[in-house]
Amino acid sequence: MKNATLNLRDLVILVADPSPYMCMLANSMLRGFGANKAMDARSSIDAIQILTEQKIDILLCDNLLPPHGGLKLTQAIRRNVNNPNRTVPILIMTSDTRESTIKSARDAGANMVVAKPMSPSSLYDRLSWIAFNPRNFVDAPTYFGPDRRFKIEGFPTGVGRRQGDKAIEVSDETGPTLAQDDIDNLFNSSRVG
Amino acid sequence: MSNSNGAREFPVETDFQKKVRRAGGVTRNQAVGDAEAQIETLKEEFTDWLKDGLTRLQTAIQLAETYPDNAVLIEDAFRSSCELRDIGTTVGYELVTFVANRLCEVLDAMRNGADYDEVLIRCHLDALQLARQDIYKNVSPDQVPDLCDGLRRAAEHSISMAGRIGK
Repeated sequence: MKNATLNLRDLVILVADPSPYMCMLANSMLRGFGANKAMDARSSIDAIQILTEQKIDILLCDNLLPPHGGLKLTQAIRRNVNNPNRTVPILIMTSDTRESTIKSARDAGANMVVAKPMSPSSLYDRLSWIAFNPRNFVDAPTYFGPDRRFKIEGFPTGVGRRQGDKAIEVSDETGPTLAQDDIDNLFNSSRVG
Repeated sequence: MSNSNGAREFPVETDFQKKVRRAGGVTRNQAVGDAEAQIETLKEEFTDWLKDGLTRLQTAIQLAETYPDNAVLIEDAFRSSCELRDIGTTVGYELVTFVANRLCEVLDAMRNGADYDEVLIRCHLDALQLARQDIYKNVSPDQVPDLCDGLRRAAEHSISMAGRIGK
């Protein structure tokens, strides 16, 4: 995978962030990666409107996107059975890297989380991860989104699990903040047991 | 495939995954290098943007000071501070991100019930004005430990006060 290439040309990318400058920065990075069709949304309302009007290939969404927040937006996208973008890959951008927040993003149906401030390499690697690590979707009464079952490797305090996954204590604590590697581990799709 | 809980699992290959693997893509090194070059062109604009961003933050803080019980105004100040924090390091102003992050913690404590501390807020605004100056442009937090330790202690004090209030 390290030698794989990404071709973002003609992909429709929606960057949803309240900061015009942050959008500009994200778009600059995406242009550098070869993207030529990036759009902006400054609020969850704008984003929903765009998502209902046209097909998007990937959504980059700020965790604090007003007024509803990026995670509520993610849930809204996943729960709407009539939304043509229901399975669109969603990458949450956040500077709040507390374990509880990352788990909430995963449980809302996000594909991956990238920590802010973003660097080109951190964004590229997350996009690459989504591209080359496809996961099944789960449609359950309380959840619709990428399969959240994962193998825990190198993450000391434990994370949420399902029956059949490796037994491990689940921490109720909200801290400490996680490094990007720990965040990635939370989204690792490999199963155990 | 569905289980006894009514959950159904199915494979999804999105358009993103199909398209992104097409021939003609760019390697990681090339993509990251090109993206860094794109950001470099934005850095020249960042000085002006930073000045505007600080003005927006100061305005939000002034409003929050005038109406300290108005949660919406504290929220606006918090968001303005987040914006500075999220962008600083990406465009090479690591110290701006550090100070703005501390201010975010202070404002977050206030969102959670800590009293409005004008001196503490002013101290962070002054530090941000300092961090945006040219002489601090390429300075990392490690190079100014006294400033950083002071802000860290102040933020921790504010957070512990919020914890005591228990909101």
